[in-house]
Amino acid sequence: MTDAIPAAVRGPNATRDGSLITLAGVAKRYEVGPVTVTALAGVDLKVDEGEFVVVLGPSGCGKTTLLNMVGALDTPTAGTIVVGGQNITGASRKELFAFRRRTVSFIFQSFNLFPGLTARENVEFGIDASGRRARSEAADVLAEVGLGERIDHFPHQLSGGEQQRVAIARALATDNPVLLADEPTGELDFRTGAQILELLRAEAGPGRGVLVVTHNREISRVADRVIELSSGSIVSDGPPEGGRVPISELHW
Amino acid sequence: MFRIWLRWSWRDLRSRWVQVGAIALVIALGTGSYAGLSSVTVWRVQSGEQSFELTRMYDLRGRLPAGSFVDAGSLSAVLADLDHPEWIEASEERLLVPTQLDASTGDQTILVTGQIVGIDVAGDGPEVNRVLPLLGRGLTAADAGEDVILLERNFAEHYDLAAQGEVLLGGDRRIEYVGHGTTPEYFTVVTEGGGFLAQSTFAAVFTSLETAQRLSGQTGAVNDLVLTLTDDADATAAAAELRAALASVGATIMEPLDDPSYRIITEDPEGDQQLYNVFAIAIFGGAVFAAFNLTTRMVEAQRREIGIAMAIGIPPWSIAMRPLLFGLQIALLGVVFGIGVGVLIAQAMHGLLQQIQPAVPVFETPFQFQLFAIVGVIGLLVPLLAIMYPVLRAVRVNPIDAIKTTHLNARGNRFISLLHRVPLPGDTFAQLPFRNLLRSPRRAFLTILGVAAVLSVLVGIVGILDSLIRTIDRSDEELLAGAPDRIEITLDQFYPVGSPQAALVLESPVLTEAEPVIQIPGVTLLGDDAADDVDLFVTFVDLESTLWRPTVVAGAVEPGTAGIVLSSGAASDLGVGPGDMVRVRHPRRSGPTAFELVESELPVLGIHGHPFRFVAYIDIAHADLMGVEGVTNGISARPTDGEDEASVQRALFGSAGVASVQGVTATTDAIRDAMAEFTGIFRVIEGAALILALLIAFNAASISEDERARENATMLAFGIPVRTVLRMAVVESFAIGVVGTILGLGGGYLMVVWTVEVLLPQTLPDITLEATLSPASLGIVLALGIVAVAAAPLLTFRKLLRMNIPSTLRVME
Repeated sequence: MTDAIPAAVRGPNATRDGSLITLAGVAKRYEVGPVTVTALAGVDLKVDEGEFVVVLGPSGCGKTTLLNMVGALDTPTAGTIVVGGQNITGASRKELFAFRRRTVSFIFQSFNLFPGLTARENVEFGIDASGRRARSEAADVLAEVGLGERIDHFPHQLSGGEQQRVAIARALATDNPVLLADEPTGELDFRTGAQILELLRAEAGPGRGVLVVTHNREISRVADRVIELSSGSIVSDGPPEGGRVPISELHW
Repeated sequence: MFRIWLRWSWRDLRSRWVQVGAIALVIALGTGSYAGLSSVTVWRVQSGEQSFELTRMYDLRGRLPAGSFVDAGSLSAVLADLDHPEWIEASEERLLVPTQLDASTGDQTILVTGQIVGIDVAGDGPEVNRVLPLLGRGLTAADAGEDVILLERNFAEHYDLAAQGEVLLGGDRRIEYVGHGTTPEYFTVVTEGGGFLAQSTFAAVFTSLETAQRLSGQTGAVNDLVLTLTDDADATAAAAELRAALASVGATIMEPLDDPSYRIITEDPEGDQQLYNVFAIAIFGGAVFAAFNLTTRMVEAQRREIGIAMAIGIPPWSIAMRPLLFGLQIALLGVVFGIGVGVLIAQAMHGLLQQIQPAVPVFETPFQFQLFAIVGVIGLLVPLLAIMYPVLRAVRVNPIDAIKTTHLNARGNRFISLLHRVPLPGDTFAQLPFRNLLRSPRRAFLTILGVAAVLSVLVGIVGILDSLIRTIDRSDEELLAGAPDRIEITLDQFYPVGSPQAALVLESPVLTEAEPVIQIPGVTLLGDDAADDVDLFVTFVDLESTLWRPTVVAGAVEPGTAGIVLSSGAASDLGVGPGDMVRVRHPRRSGPTAFELVESELPVLGIHGHPFRFVAYIDIAHADLMGVEGVTNGISARPTDGEDEASVQRALFGSAGVASVQGVTATTDAIRDAMAEFTGIFRVIEGAALILALLIAFNAASISEDERARENATMLAFGIPVRTVLRMAVVESFAIGVVGTILGLGGGYLMVVWTVEVLLPQTLPDITLEATLSPASLGIVLALGIVAVAAAPLLTFRKLLRMNIPSTLRVME
């Protein structure tokens, strides 16, 4: 990408207090005819660098809406969102596009790979989007996720787990500080899902944070923090019940 | 169950109404243009037949050479001595003499060459080739010998002349005209020099035989015989008998198909119809490709629903109902629109034809129910058949394969793998459009074919126009070579070169470099059998003249060598070349105004550069070949300094013996004028073809945009700007446009070659056309085709801009 990165988006990933993501009074309401549906009702939330945070809740509780807000795919009705040091609440459309290229990366439940591109090219897409790495590093990133031998395969030639690993590699290749994952293991079997979680877990480190949205309570056991949502509000926020466990102890 | 499928297909239709509307419009233009234009063909054929019947078009005609006359009654007299006089139903003698006509009005100067047609007005007028009054009154027995004429309708209509008034004929004779009329040979005006639709430069006037004799100074003379045959007559045998009987006076025998007006009226519609067929098939082909493309993609989008239906036991034929009903509705919509388009086209063509050929007396334009019904059924069935394949294929897979989500079920193919080995330059954004194209090569190919089909129509039209223009230009280049202001003065008959009439022109102060020429129509280049004969219009000129001489493109003209210089068309039709001997049947002057028909053998000296087949030259030093040495019936000259064509016309108008004064390109100028009348229609068809290309490209882009909604949403989620996503779509469409346009150019050029080398020679055998696509047209087609197709995705901009990224990303098939 050759677009200039707006000054507001540049700079340290975290704010002065060390938080990578800050949501203050964020609300999202939809008007459906005469009825007002509240997807998020004044959410306050901070995610620090190095944290692996799982947002948990049943379907319709607002967790995906929350993720979309953080990723600037959606705009709040009220409140303020600061991600990677940038207040995106009032950002222009152009700034939001630049923000998505340089600050956040997405991993989707249904992978959303480009079927016309090989695994390597899908990863190169991520590199081209953020412009932070050399395209030659695509193979290395794929090797990191265990797909060093499958780089020239097209998505339809890969298993579901492999496709999700390509999606992760594409997200990692952007080198963006915030990784957002929406039900990343939703379409995978346990063994593959566990491998994916390993990869995501490893991404949470200095200068980086991972926010995973899921309805699978078992996944939350490997998180640093678990935020439970219900009807658009945070009902609990803290370490997993019983403490964090190694991924090897998970089962579903 | 049927109701559910119907309702569901309605919803499908509504959800894709833009694409559905676009395809219906393409089908409508295909079916409508075919039905509309074909209706016009039926009208033209029926109207032509009835018009010829109404005016009792001759079955045989005996024409004396120009400048040759015989006593009235002598031509008819030979009929009694024919082997089968009982075959003759009716006959008429006529006198046809060249003239000039000044019909200038207060606001326009109308000075043209023309012909006085003297006919028998006794009783009900001529029995053969009746002169039909179309405005004002007709000629009656009381007009015999009076200064009363009728103006030929095409000419009068062209200049919007009043129904009655006065005109000046050559010799400054003011004469009253009482109406506008026509005869079969003037339904379409074709001049001796090959100019068709020549009403702007040529005016026939009809008058009594006695008046024509008096005006031309040919008292008691005739030079033309027309006759009709009984139903049981053998026309070929009768023609042979008449030819033999009139050989002594040098008459040329014509059958209706030898008459350019008859040929154009009767055969031109059939030729045009073949062209319409090709155009309609191309347009309709584009529609079919578009319908096939949309249905294929729609069926693929419904794959999981089809799988679910199969999983719960719905029989495949029942599942196929939904997409088939969808296709049927598109086709129905297209046919309904098509009827409207057809009626509009037919009405527009009706007006145009009446404007171009106002002299055709009968113009029947009934609505062609049968034609529209057939076209409607074809319009309905062909798109339906086109969509059968993807529908049947979709319901034949295992349910589980259909239910699987895209990422598991999508299939790559060898093209992608093949392309993958080819390193493409640029980043993924530069590569994606091409990868997408080869990801679904069949779809890309169908879109390309659709674009190519309609663009071939566009190329075909501009190519035909270019070819005609190029031919006219070649004619002009040849006739004007070295003397761009050259003028030809035609005398009304043969005069000795030293006669006062010839001297008046040769020594006129408004002319310089004046040279006598001799023009002899009615010469036949004889082939192995009569069907191979080629009619020639021979001009005796000084082949070493410094004023002008024909360009010899093959062979060599040796001074003093007797022989003929032929056109490339005539030479190739007879399979002869320079040095070969040809047999020529030609008139030979046997008295001051008398000719006989004889055969001679001549060497072909060379091939000239004029594109008209009938044009032939012989050195004037060998005028004795036809007994016309020492006489002339034309002068070739240039205006003196300060004079021009118009002033020379004025100066010589009314001079004794002068029949016409015009620039040498008058014929081609008239053709150019006539073509200008068609240009508007051609531009409309060009515009329609471009719109079709745009619609097909838009359809493809719009469908792709729908299909790739999640891919696009993913890109937007990664922060790729809308303009970049759009640019990729434009590049993909551009690639389709480039390939489609190149194929369209190829297909269109083949259409041009077929039209000018196969189709047009049947109706315009005397013009040697050369398939041409001018660089300007090529550039315009390339630019418009590629730009229109490439720009099509821009129409999806709003949709892309308003995309709900989260919901699109989460959509499960």
